[in-house]
Parts: sequence; structure tokens; C-alpha cells
Amino acid sequence: MAIAGTAAAALAFAWAVIAGLSRVLNTPAGPDIDPPVVVAPPPLNPAIPRIKATLYFASEDGLHLVAAEREVPLADGAVAQARAIIEAQLSAEPPPPLAATIPAGATLRGVFISARHEAFVDLDPTIRTAHAGGSHQELMTVYTIVNALLTNLPNLQEVQILIGGQEADTLAGHVDLRRPLRQNQELILSPSSTTLPPSNP
Amino acid sequence: MTRVLLRAAGVCFVLAIALMATAQPASLTVLSRDGRKPLPVIAVNNQEYVAVDDINTVFGTTAREDRLAGGLTITLRSRSIVLTADQNVVSVGGRLVSLPSPPVRRDGRWHVPLDFLPRALALVLDTRLDLRRAPRLLIVGDLRAPRVVARVDAGTTNVAVTFEVTPNTQAQVTAQPGRLVVQFEADVIDLALPSLPPQTFLLGLAPGDTANSVVLTTGPRYATHRVATTPADAGSGRVTIDLLPATTAETTAPTVTPPAAPPEARLVIPPPAPASGLRTVVIDPGHGGDELGTQGAKGTLEKEITLSVARRLRTLIESRLGAKVFLTRDDDRTLSLDERSAFANNHQADVFLSLHANSAVRPALKGAEVYFLTVERADAEARKRAGDNATTLPALGGGSREIDLILWETAQARYLEQSAALAGFVEQALAGRVEMSPRAIQQASLRVLVGANMPAALVEIGYLSNAEQEAQLATGAYQDQVAQALLDALIKFREFLEH
Repeated sequence: MAIAGTAAAALAFAWAVIAGLSRVLNTPAGPDIDPPVVVAPPPLNPAIPRIKATLYFASEDGLHLVAAEREVPLADGAVAQARAIIEAQLSAEPPPPLAATIPAGATLRGVFISARHEAFVDLDPTIRTAHAGGSHQELMTVYTIVNALLTNLPNLQEVQILIGGQEADTLAGHVDLRRPLRQNQELILSPSSTTLPPSNP
Repeated sequence: MTRVLLRAAGVCFVLAIALMATAQPASLTVLSRDGRKPLPVIAVNNQEYVAVDDINTVFGTTAREDRLAGGLTITLRSRSIVLTADQNVVSVGGRLVSLPSPPVRRDGRWHVPLDFLPRALALVLDTRLDLRRAPRLLIVGDLRAPRVVARVDAGTTNVAVTFEVTPNTQAQVTAQPGRLVVQFEADVIDLALPSLPPQTFLLGLAPGDTANSVVLTTGPRYATHRVATTPADAGSGRVTIDLLPATTAETTAPTVTPPAAPPEARLVIPPPAPASGLRTVVIDPGHGGDELGTQGAKGTLEKEITLSVARRLRTLIESRLGAKVFLTRDDDRTLSLDERSAFANNHQADVFLSLHANSAVRPALKGAEVYFLTVERADAEARKRAGDNATTLPALGGGSREIDLILWETAQARYLEQSAALAGFVEQALAGRVEMSPRAIQQASLRVLVGANMPAALVEIGYLSNAEQEAQLATGAYQDQVAQALLDALIKFREFLEH
């Protein structure tokens, strides 16, 4: 038994070493087979052109999502643009009297888009601990992200939120995140019934 | 040099795989009305997978590979699932279903992650597949599948075998030559057996010939047995079989022949259910254990409020409605959302109510809210169809309104109409007793409701983020008002079911 264990350990070690070595040897031999799905954050260059994007915040009474326009960097390609929009949404200061729907400190790990026009938004797990909970607040947070992407990138059909690189059951115990979600118009306060706050460039 | 190294790596890899194969995860047991079948499980990248070949053997599906396209089609009758290697989305009759990890092709065989079974395969089988990871079970269809955990205690003369049965289920003990057969009134049992203490006259404890029975093999020293049943907490029951040896009978009554063991002892554990459309109610106190839920500024915890209201509601329903009530938790423990709906399914509940307290970024927001499930459409075809599925539902403030019923492959989907009615009754009853939020009734994709195989609603009884409501929610008076309103709603819902 002990011999078998030692042999297994030795083989596993040899395998790990050689697998690592072969990867090193293979590295210069051309491009990766699978293109990376996660893009690097866009460089913070003031010369980069910016576009207007619709972001979402909580209404003054906390009950609805309200759209507000913000400038975000123009990015090359849908994935990079989706990333720029979500990053802007996560860090945006809400224009008074609106409030942020996403807990402070939430960060984005990555964005990728499937061939079926589904966007996957991968959030850092800290959003879980920072979230206050409650069905209402969780719906507001989730659909801020979903609506922000689907409003600005109409080619996208659905958004699935991942947490820490994994498919997640829920963010705070309520909203089902196991499948891609569609835009939620019910939570959005329609512009006709309110005056939009001025954009805050 | 590189080539030699790579070849060595290849050999080591094969050997390592062969060695790893010995440490594969345990098989799943597929429980159905036909009995038990094993379904082997392998680990790929730390995820559990099953081979499509094995799925075909167990479920009678067929698979056809399209090597050119790198795809596989699994078919049963006219329904099919299309898989693509390394894509974690599969198409089931045109609907897209996401998987936690993509199908993999290994050693010429296709493998799919375990979640493929309840999420995709269940759709082509047109039945529910309940995956229970801890006991390694896959339950096919709406089976009564109570969990039965056995314990053996060897006394100085006797041996006691105790079965903890969750949910409480009737059992029947039959004495046969050399053995006792315990048969549970269930389709299958999810059985956990201990190892036997040595040197007793209980020689064996094993699953019976049918999927719902256990067999106790008795040795020659066994003379008779006694059966005791006790209903335990939270809907579970206990059956204790006390095995007595021949010597005990001789010492206690040496001149009298010991009475023959009753050939059949029928145990009646649960009380007879009243004939009504609302026999069993499962109440789910939201959150619990490590999962605190939301928290008020003064430290009031959602998990404590929900449990307190659930207990009050249980007392009211039991005394006023005569229905059986089970709480998914009756103490401060962590439960997954699947465990909560599975608990309701196992108890064959007629209604599932999940209780919660709410939170908002604006402290002024207050009032109670009721939710029932909305299900997302996954493809254009379903979107188009949904337009024809408009259904009239009870609306707030009386009357009715038309909504789109959008069906998805969830257990809850077929109860959406009844759940909408239930939510309507809850909203009306709450509005008579407590303050309602401006969004009193809503439809949302709430995870705990998805798997509930009965009418289900989630009630947010108030906002802990509002100072006034935090104080209210902690009082017995407010909790009683909520419980009374929910009872009123259940009475209305019972009338609705009966007509």
C-alpha cells in the first residue's frame, strides 16, 4: 500500500514536472489554440475617444432603476466595450438624487461573449460579502448589470453573471443566476414618468 | 531531446491517468420505480462527469456522434439534446441550457457534467431528475423518496436498530424465517446503513429486494422483536426495532412459552390526513446558520425574524387549518436553496411559502412584498409562442389581469398559474393587516422557487433597512399579524384549489 502510494506520488510528480516542461517548450511555437476570453482592462489614456452609455441607478425612493447617461471609453470590439461599460457601472458615482445599486468595492474579473450573443460577466466574490441582501436589492443589483449591457450593446441577447469565475446559484440568496438573464423593463422607471437627471460627464 | 521528453511525458501521463482512475468518485445510484441502477462517475478537471454511454444504458437514450462538427446528439423518442465538445451550453429541443462545465470527449467516449442530468436530460425524459449529491443519488420522477438513516445499538442482551425517517413515512415490519423485512410506504428509500457491531445475533442489515425496504438478517439466537415508533422533530420519524434473544425470554418467563412474534406489526406514524386540497404546507424560514440574510441598522437579523414568523404560522395552521406543517429548518442552520425546495418536494407539500425580510439602498422604502416565479425564455421560438400564452390571473385589488405565462423546464413552471393565485391571495391578506410596499406583488426569477413542485411564493414581510420596520419586525405583534395574514391567504387558497 505504502509502495503504491509512493509510486503514485512519484509518477504524479514526474508527470507534473514533464507536463510543465513540455508547456515551456511549447510556448514559443505559435499562438494559443483557444483565444483568451478575458480581455485586459483598457489603458487609461485620456486621448481615447469616449462614447455615451446608459447606466442604471436606484431611483430616489429606492424602488426602481433609473437610466442616466455617462461617458465611457470607446473600446475595440464588443468584449472590450462590454468590459468598459460594466467597469463604468461598477465605479460610477450616482447623479443626485439617485443612489448606487451595486455595493461599493465590487470589481470585475472578466467579460466574455459566446457565439450565441450571450455575455458572461464575471464578478469578484467580494460583491457577495458587500451585498446587503433582500430580494428587492438583489434584483436591483443584478438587473443593473444585465440592463446596462443589453441596453448599450443591442447585439447581445442575454447576460449571465458569474462570481469568482464560477457559475453561481445566486448573489445573496434570491435571484437565480444559473442561467443567462434578459433585460428587465419592469424595474426601470419609464422616462415619460420622470425627468431624467442631467448626465454628469 | 524535446521529442524524447514529450514521449516520456506521454507515458507518465497515461500511467498517472491509470493511477488516478483508482481514485475516481463514487458512482451515483439512480433510483426509480424500477429499482436501483449504478451510474459511474469520473472526475475531469475536479468536476464530476458521467459517460454518455452509461446514460444511454440506464435511461434508454441513444447517441449519435457527428465527428465532422465535433458534436453529439442524444435522442429519446422525438426529443433530442445537441452537445458540442468544449461548449458549456447545450441545446434541448431548440432551447439552450447552460452547464457549469462543457462536455468532454475522452478515450473515445463523451462525458457530461452531473448537472447535465437534471438540467438537460430531464427535459428529454420529460420527468423530474432530483440530483442529491451528498448521498450520491439521482431520483427519477416524482418519487416518494424519504431519507432513511439506520443506527444499531448493541445492549447487554438486546440489539436495537433505529431508523430515522425524513420525512415521516409509514413502515411495516414483517417477520420471515431468518430475517425481518422493514418496508416503507415510499417508492424508494434513500438509505444510509452503518457497520454492524460484532458478535450479536443481528447478522446483516442490507437493502431489501424492493427499492423501499431494508432487511435485517437474524441469527439463531434471535427470538422475538418489539417495534416502537416516535415522531421526531421537523417532520422526521423514528422506527426502533428491538431484537430480543431467546435467552432473555427464557430467563424472564422460564415456564411460559414466549409468545410467538407477531407475523406483521403495522406501524402508523403520521396521523391520517384530512381530505382537502391543502393537506401539507411547507414553510421555509429564509437564510439561517452562516447565512445571516439581511441585517437592520440595529442588528436585527433576517434569519431570526423569518424563523420566528414561521413558527407562529405553523402553530396557526396546525390549529386552524388542520393541515400538516413542516419547516425547512426549525433552528439556526445553513441550508442550500435546493435543499429547501427538495424538502418541500419530499414532503409532497401542497404549498411552499418562503419567508424573507427585505433590504433597499434607500432607508425610506418599506412595506411587505410577495413574489412568484418568472421564468426566462431562452430562444426565439419560445418568445414567439409566449404571445399565445396570455393567461388571466388574480390581480391586486381584486379583478384579474393578463400576463404572459412563459414556461421553462423547471418543476415550478407547471404551477405558475396556481402560484400566481397564491401570491395574489397573500398580497390581499397582507394588505389588510400590514403596510405594503408600492411594488406589493412581483414576478421574479427567484432561485428557491424554481425547483418547488407545487404552488409556491416568497414573502418579504418588510424592510429591515427601514428603521421603523426594523423595530416592527422584531415584535411579536407584527409577526403575529403577518402569520395571521398568511393563514387567511392559505384558507382562501384552499377554497381556490377546491373549486
